[in-house]
Amino acid sequence: MFTGYNTKKRVNERYKIIGFISSGTYGRVYKAESRNANPPNSKLFAIKKFKPDKEGELQYSGISQSAIREMALCTELAHPNVVHTVEIILEEKCIFIVFEYAEHDLLQIIHHHNTGGQGGRQAIPARTIKSILWQLLQGLVYLHRNWVMHRDLKPANIMVTSAGKVKIGDLGLARLFYKPLQSLFSGDKVVVTIWYRAPELLLGSRHYTPAVDLWAVGCIFAELLSLRPIFKGEEAKMDGKKTVPFQRNQMQKIVEIMGMPSKERWPLLTSMPEFPQLSSLAAGNARFHRPQGLENWYQGCLKNNQYPPGSGPDTPGPEGFDLLQQLLEYDPQKRLTADKALLHPYFTSHGNPSENCFEDSKIKYPVRRVSQEDNDIRTGSLPGTKRSGLPDDSLIGRPAKRLKEG
Amino acid sequence: MASSYWDSTQKKFWTFSKPQLALERKRLEDSERNVVNMYPLPDRRHLSIYFYHQLSKMARPLGIRQQALATAQVYVRRFYVRVEIRRTNPALVLATALYLACKMEECPQHIRMVLAEARHCWDTSFNDISKIGECEFTLISEMNSQLIIHHPYRSLAELQSQFQLTQEENSLAWSIINDHYLTDLPLLHAPHVIAITAMFLAVVLKPTQGGLQVHAAGVASALQALGNARGGAGQGTQNRVQKLVDWLAESTVDIEAVVECTQELISLYEIWDSYAEKTCKDQIAKFVKARGLEK
Repeated sequence: MFTGYNTKKRVNERYKIIGFISSGTYGRVYKAESRNANPPNSKLFAIKKFKPDKEGELQYSGISQSAIREMALCTELAHPNVVHTVEIILEEKCIFIVFEYAEHDLLQIIHHHNTGGQGGRQAIPARTIKSILWQLLQGLVYLHRNWVMHRDLKPANIMVTSAGKVKIGDLGLARLFYKPLQSLFSGDKVVVTIWYRAPELLLGSRHYTPAVDLWAVGCIFAELLSLRPIFKGEEAKMDGKKTVPFQRNQMQKIVEIMGMPSKERWPLLTSMPEFPQLSSLAAGNARFHRPQGLENWYQGCLKNNQYPPGSGPDTPGPEGFDLLQQLLEYDPQKRLTADKALLHPYFTSHGNPSENCFEDSKIKYPVRRVSQEDNDIRTGSLPGTKRSGLPDDSLIGRPAKRLKEG
Repeated sequence: MASSYWDSTQKKFWTFSKPQLALERKRLEDSERNVVNMYPLPDRRHLSIYFYHQLSKMARPLGIRQQALATAQVYVRRFYVRVEIRRTNPALVLATALYLACKMEECPQHIRMVLAEARHCWDTSFNDISKIGECEFTLISEMNSQLIIHHPYRSLAELQSQFQLTQEENSLAWSIINDHYLTDLPLLHAPHVIAITAMFLAVVLKPTQGGLQVHAAGVASALQALGNARGGAGQGTQNRVQKLVDWLAESTVDIEAVVECTQELISLYEIWDSYAEKTCKDQIAKFVKARGLEK
C-alpha cells in the first residue's frame, strides 16, 4: 500500500559519523566514514544535512527550491574539479547529500599561510597558486559549458584534497542559466558573498551572466597572492526592508583600488539600476580621486610576500598581473571567460601547471577540524546560525564558539 | 544543459528501448498481479491525456508555463515506470509532480497554492500540504534525484532558424512536441530526435486552420519521404520537404528513430478520437476509493 514515504536507505546504516564540520543557513556538514568499505575507514565523506524549513518541523512542508537545485545539479554533474556527489539520502523528512571528503579548502590554506606554522606569515608558493587557479578554472569551464553558474565562489567553497586536487564545492546557490523562465534576478535577491560580488551585481544588474563567477575567481586569485581579501567591504544589511540596499562600502573598496568605472570602458554602465549611486561615492573619500591602481596593489603585494622580482616559475610575475587585470575587468562582457582564462600566458609560460597543487611544496597543512560534540546526524541540533553579514570564516575563525553551539 | 544531453542522467538512466520499457512495466504489474487484474485501466495514452488535462487545469490559474507542465508530465511518466499506479493516488502524484517541476524550471509555486488548485480539480481529495511534501520525497527518491529534464523545445528553436520555418510550421511543431508527452516517446528518444520529428511532421502535414488534422494522405507522404531519406536518395515532390529529406539523409540523425516517433505520434492521434474523460476518471476513482488511497 502507498502509505507515505518509505525510506529505502538509512544514513546511519551506511555511514559512521566521525564528527561535525560546519554549519550554515542550509544546515550542517558532518565528516563520516563508510560502514561497508574495507578497511572501514578507507573512504571518507562529507555529509550535508539540510535543515527543515522551520526548525523542529515535524511535518513535511515541501523542500526549498535551493535544496532541489543543489540535489539536481549534484546528481547531474561529474568533473574531476567539481566535488563529487556519492549519493543523496532522503530519510524521514531530512535530506542528506553525501560528498567525497576533502581535507582542505582555500580558506583554511590561506589562513595557514597567514598565521604560519612556525615561521610566521609565509606566502603561498607561486606554483601552488598557479595549480589551484588552473584546476579551479577547469571546473568552472565545465560548469559554464553545462549552463551552470556557481554564484557563490569564495575560498571557503573551494575544496582541496590531500592529493592536491582542487574541487569546486557548495552548489547551493548554483543555477542553470539557459533561458530561465524568470529573470535570474527575481529568484533570489542576494547572491554571492559580498567580498567576491561582481560590480554589475553591486550595481543592481538584472541580467547577470557567468561572468560573475570570473570576478570571484579574480578576487580569489588576489587573495591567494596577498593572503587577504582584496575588497573587504562591510555589508549593508537588508534591515527588514523589501528592497536590497546599495552595497556602498563594498563598491567603495573596489573603486579605491580599481578606480571609477567609466562608460567609455563599460558602455552599459549607465544603464545599471544603481548607477546614480556611483557619483555619490566620491563624497568625502580622498582615495576615490587617487585610486591605488591594480598594478600598484599587485606590485606591493608581490614585494610584501617576497616573491622574486621579474618573471619565472617561482613568481606570479607580469603574466599573473595581466590575468588578474582581465579577471577584475569592470565590464562583464569584456571580462575573461573561463575558457579564455585557461589559455592565458600565465599558465603556459614557465612550464605547465601541475594537476597536484601541493607538488614540490614542503608545506604541511593542518587537517580539517572536526568537533566531537555533535556526531548524531539524525538528531543533531540545528543552531539558528545564519550566514548573513560577512562571509563566514567560521571554520578556522572562531572554533571555540562553534564547539559550544553543538 | 543542451551541450551535455549525452552525459545527462536522462540519457544514462531514463532513456529505454521499447522492449526494455515493456519489461520494466511487466515486472511492475507482475508484482501487483491481483490488483492489476481487479482494476483494469484505459489505454496508457488515454490516461496520459486525462493527466494532461488535470495538470493543465491546475496550471492555468497559477500561470504556469508549458515547459514546467512538460517537466511535470515527464516526472509522472518516470514515476509510474517505478511505482505501480494502483498503489498511488494519481491526484496527489500529479499535484506533487507539478509542484516539483515548477521549482526545477525556476517558476516556483507555493505549496499551498498547488494544494488549493489540486483540491479544486478533484472533488474530494487530500487537504494537507504535508501530503504533497511527503509525496515529493517519494517522487525524488524514485527518480534518484535525477530531476533535470532536456526538452525538445530548445532543439526546435535551433532547427527553426536553420530551416527558416514559417510561424505556422513552428507553432505546429511546438504543439506536436506538446503532444509527444502523451506518449512514451520522452522515455524512448533523445530530445533532438523528437524535435526533428515534430518539425518534419509540421512541414509535411502543413498546418490547416483547424489545427493539426492528420489525414491518411499526409501521413503516407510523410512516411514515404522518410523512406526516401533512409535510402539516401531524395525523390520527394515538394521543395521544402525535399530539403529536409536531403538534410536528414546527410545528417547523422537516426532516421529509424524519426520513423518510429512519427508512427508513435500518428497512432496517438488515431487513438485520441476514442478518448473519454469519464472512463479515465471513473476507473481511477475505483481503485483509489476501494484501496483507501485518497485519505
